Amino acid sequence: MIEVNNITKKFGRKQVLKGVTFTAEKGEITCLIGINGVGKTTILNAIMALTPIKKGEILIDGEKLKPKTFNHITFIPDAITVLPQMTITESMQFMKDYYTTWNEERAQELLSFFKLNPEDKIASLSKGNTAKANLLLGLALDVDYILMDEPFSGIDMFSREQIANVFTSHLIEDRGVIITTHEIGDIEHLIDKVVLLDDGVVKKHFYTEEVREAEGKSVIDVMREEYQG
Amino acid sequence: MKSYFRLTEFELGRFFKFYLVLIGLTIVSQIIGVIAVSKEYMQEANEAIYQDGLSKQAFMDQRGLISLLDWTNSIWFLAPIALCVVTLLIYMFFIWYRDWLGKNTFIYRLLMLPTQRIHLFFAKATTIFIMVLGLVALQVFLIYIAGIVLEWMVPNEFMQTMGVSEVSVASQYVNTILPATFTEFVLYYGTGFMFVCIFFTAILIERSYRWKGLLFAIGYVAVATAVFMSLIFLSMEWGLFSLYPLEWLILQIIIGIIVTASSIFLSYYLLTKKITV
Repeated sequence: MIEVNNITKKFGRKQVLKGVTFTAEKGEITCLIGINGVGKTTILNAIMALTPIKKGEILIDGEKLKPKTFNHITFIPDAITVLPQMTITESMQFMKDYYTTWNEERAQELLSFFKLNPEDKIASLSKGNTAKANLLLGLALDVDYILMDEPFSGIDMFSREQIANVFTSHLIEDRGVIITTHEIGDIEHLIDKVVLLDDGVVKKHFYTEEVREAEGKSVIDVMREEYQG
Repeated sequence: MKSYFRLTEFELGRFFKFYLVLIGLTIVSQIIGVIAVSKEYMQEANEAIYQDGLSKQAFMDQRGLISLLDWTNSIWFLAPIALCVVTLLIYMFFIWYRDWLGKNTFIYRLLMLPTQRIHLFFAKATTIFIMVLGLVALQVFLIYIAGIVLEWMVPNEFMQTMGVSEVSVASQYVNTILPATFTEFVLYYGTGFMFVCIFFTAILIERSYRWKGLLFAIGYVAVATAVFMSLIFLSMEWGLFSLYPLEWLILQIIIGIIVTASSIFLSYYLLTKKITV
């Protein structure tokens, strides 16, 4: 389980996170929702120790993040994290060289799932294919947790569908996922838990199934209630 | 440790093409240089002997013998060295900033590798160091080759033959990059490594605290340099110490090690706790 406990963060004088607390369990897809600038990406960065937090604590399976933890958790940011001059094959080799949890079989499976040409250079890929290659590099790791930042941002409809299909496949099964997205419509039916962020705090968190069954509301209905009053 | 070696190899690979260009330019410029300097000397000799009617001995007395020092003082020899020095100084900063700049988010990947982040620091520092030592080794080789070329180009009677070590002692420029003794070599390049660590730490301070960090970074470089130089200030300027040379040297080495270790420790802290993408 990923535990985010009362974290605070300032950028200059602006207090972006004012005590955010939530958990994300293994085998569940947790979606962080909020308007731009609310601190969704900052939370993911903080979980991966890519930005310091002022206060609070983040635990992964009860422990603070250590170098070895990166073999058990991966972050797929909204831009690809390998060098643009690398080919897809080279970037896969790079990952294989450093991560003991790299699963070559799954990488090959993802390559054909996304219909990517392994000899293409990252710099020459379309936005949609770059997003897919980025996803491939993260999903081919046998990790317990996957963090994804806006995986649908700015890409075409067909690529979005293809990426959304990943969530219903065995590629995600049993893993804990934290995802941030604006395009909630694409994955609303796939997410288990929602964390609504507003003004630096968690405004509401709920299980989608419970709200659907008990109140007959979709995630978008709840968002409208919470954000538009 | 395996990750450190892999990262070093990877960092070397990232600059290797550019490095080969530097090596190529140095070879071409210095070899052309030794030919040009020899030809110029021989032209002077021919003019003096055949046109002005000077005897060989009179010319040699007047002009002096040609040696590798004529070459090491020429622009052909010095320009590529200056270019390499400036390029590596710039690369010392670029080796970090390239991972942050523009659309490049490679720093995410580097910081998320399942290895101690200080390995990044060591890999980048080692890369700079290997490149510097590589160019020094190339220089030794080129001085040796230049000696052979000079022998081909100029008759022996006009030439003062010099080996690499003699050139190193006689030329101030060569002595700077290639000290005459091993102890000096270790001291010069040890100091160089310390300054690489200081500048890397300054870069990490800036990358951790951004604009505010820029001031801290400049302050850190100033303080670290002042600490390293403190002995010189105290002994030379104010005459506070009267130490034997060996004592002075040992104390200076200890201060250098402390400054280097402090930089590495601070970088470790910044990379682990404060760095931001």
